[in-house]
Amino acid sequence: MRTSLNEIEQIEKYLLGGLKSEDRLLFQAELLLNPQKAENVYWQQKTYQLIQAYGRKQLKQEIEAVHQKLFTHPARQNFRQKVLALFK
Amino acid sequence: MQMTEYSTKEKVLTTLYESVFPAAAKYISRRGGTFEQAKDIFQDALVIWYERFSTDEKAVHSQKAYLFGITKHLWYRKFASEKETADFELTEAAGFEDKTYEEPSAPKLLQLLENAGRKCMQLLKAVYYDKLSMAELASGFGFRSEHSAAVQKYKCLEKVRETVKEKSLCYEDFLE
Repeated sequence: MRTSLNEIEQIEKYLLGGLKSEDRLLFQAELLLNPQKAENVYWQQKTYQLIQAYGRKQLKQEIEAVHQKLFTHPARQNFRQKVLALFK
Repeated sequence: MQMTEYSTKEKVLTTLYESVFPAAAKYISRRGGTFEQAKDIFQDALVIWYERFSTDEKAVHSQKAYLFGITKHLWYRKFASEKETADFELTEAAGFEDKTYEEPSAPKLLQLLENAGRKCMQLLKAVYYDKLSMAELASGFGFRSEHSAAVQKYKCLEKVRETVKEKSLCYEDFLE
């Protein structure tokens, strides 16, 4: 792999908890000496957060589609009536 | 549980919805909640269940109990916090609203990534959100080997990271 990809892999291990304690210390020392790398760690963390938000948004859409299907499909009429009756 | 394919995932979600939502709705209606509240809370519970337990082998057999438990917990939390919200609204009406508050702008950046880098975002979501293994990723996305899937994963991560950095620095309001 390219050097930059190796660095990304290493940062991933650091951020997602795959580094042993001595390697962690070494990595943290490296960050102090290499601000460029420290910056990459920051943006990679942001990226994971965005992927999480992206995944969650899609899952919510999938769940809403299931809801719509259960509450509009003719074959699910019994289910729908049973649930709606609870709120009368 | 295997949820790599969309249809499998949809089936699992449908089964859970059908079997647990009536009980959840009953629980919430008895405590004075509306249908809309029951729906919102149950859907949030499904998200939490998916993120925490969908790949947990040990939780497979009790998934319905887990899901119902999460729903009850969320209802309880909402019920407790609604009292606080009511108090807060009173404070606001009295003119103590926080003028420094701004809308979080992460959705803007997300929108941009959805349009500009959909392919990579789909792949990264499969790895980090749906927690696919490299073997599943390789077969699902058509890579020759687990190794080439892993390489592509890091390439995408790099690409998205650079976009996030660039856009965030261009428009400072992307950052909280």
